[in-house]
Amino acid sequence: MHYPNTLSSLSGTAKRLIAAAGLAISALMISVSAHAQAAIDAKGAPNDFVQAVADNALQAVKKDEAAKSGDLKRINQLVDQLILPYVNFEKTTRLAAGRHWRQANPQQQQALVEAFKGTLIRTYSGALANVDDVSRIDIQPFRGDANADDVVVRSLVTRSNGPAVGVDYRLEKTPEGWKVYDINIENIWLIQNYRNQFAQQIQQSGIDGLIKALNQSNLK
Amino acid sequence: MKNNARFTSPRLRLGVVVAALALTGCATVESPSPRDPLERLNRGTFAFNDAVDGAVFKPIAYAYRDLTPAPLRSCVGNIFGNVEDVWSAFNSLLQARGHDFFNTLGRVMFNSTMGLGGCIDVATMNGAYRIKNDLGTTLGVWGLGTGPYIVLPFLGSSTLRDGTASLGGFAADISPLTPVMAIDNVPVRNVILGTYAVDKRESLLDADEMVNRTALDRYSFIRDAYLQQRDALVNQRKGDGSAVPDYSDDELPDYSDNGAQEAAR
Repeated sequence: MHYPNTLSSLSGTAKRLIAAAGLAISALMISVSAHAQAAIDAKGAPNDFVQAVADNALQAVKKDEAAKSGDLKRINQLVDQLILPYVNFEKTTRLAAGRHWRQANPQQQQALVEAFKGTLIRTYSGALANVDDVSRIDIQPFRGDANADDVVVRSLVTRSNGPAVGVDYRLEKTPEGWKVYDINIENIWLIQNYRNQFAQQIQQSGIDGLIKALNQSNLK
Repeated sequence: MKNNARFTSPRLRLGVVVAALALTGCATVESPSPRDPLERLNRGTFAFNDAVDGAVFKPIAYAYRDLTPAPLRSCVGNIFGNVEDVWSAFNSLLQARGHDFFNTLGRVMFNSTMGLGGCIDVATMNGAYRIKNDLGTTLGVWGLGTGPYIVLPFLGSSTLRDGTASLGGFAADISPLTPVMAIDNVPVRNVILGTYAVDKRESLLDADEMVNRTALDRYSFIRDAYLQQRDALVNQRKGDGSAVPDYSDDELPDYSDNGAQEAAR
């Protein structure tokens, strides 16, 4: 990015702010949720793909009274329907388990993916909790190589009460199109945050112990 | 019936808690994290904080949330945020981030006037988002590592660097809190400090619930989240904010093929 100099950018900011101030109230009155529901193209540009998936989920939460009032069970259901199909849970689980993944046999691996799924759904739901009528998801300009197979799409979730929340998605290109495998909420990557917990649990009670612990937290 | 009553006797429950604590104590030694050499001590402080929080701070924060209307809470939070912005701006200056410095200063001016003394965050509404900054991040940008992870009593997650920075800032009259300490009217000062603490705790309630829903081990979850977030702040200031975690070390290229073959068999 290029900034001519700080003083002119200050006056630019001030001008923008003052000009916008008059519009602020009217802008708040008009619901910002005027996004047309886009068709999801998993093989299109990663930014458009994430925007479409996220908007779909956001619209669904906004339309659903239970979800909007914070009913987590309902939000989890919506995430399951609308986001899950575009997420590669197996990869998320494999990377979170790291080197321990190889110690697990195929049955254990499958059970681990299944057990971790509940945690993942609850995490993705967390990105959609506290949605209100003015909430919207702004995809940030794409940085990095658009032709890469492993990309990050950055977004900002805004709502009327509370600060904007940065949510980034890490995607990989698969034959079926883009798949999300890692999510970052306010600078915290999901996989990164589970590596130590996984390793710790495996050292204490093995892969089966980890599966059991995850299933237990699913009951919470 | 009698048996059941005996199993829930306070003494037995205490015994279970002690046994559980002892087990946790043993477990921590087994899997040390390189950035958390004081894990044993930290887990103790963490448990202490949790107990105090559950008994005192959390109930107050929930009561505050239940008893006050949302616009009032957002006003209180914004006023404190506006004061913190001054401190953020100063740190952006220390990091030679002129653009952030002027933007944050513009935010403060705009919010203090149009936003009725910081009550309404009009700047954010117009797309000028808060750029948080603090002395710990400044020291990080200057090249100082975080040092070991430390759980401070009452205050929670920190590191040697960040903890020293906030305590040092507090002592040296340059933290956003110290102007408050200069207020001679003690009741007024205490009300401001108390409100600040309650507002901070209230703003963390959602994150807290999220951690409870998703964490396997709350201590590790919070520690790793804190360290990730602090590292990201410093890295963004240093210009490599687009760096993503590298998970490739553990990913053997031929692994998934093996898995697929075995599964197919």
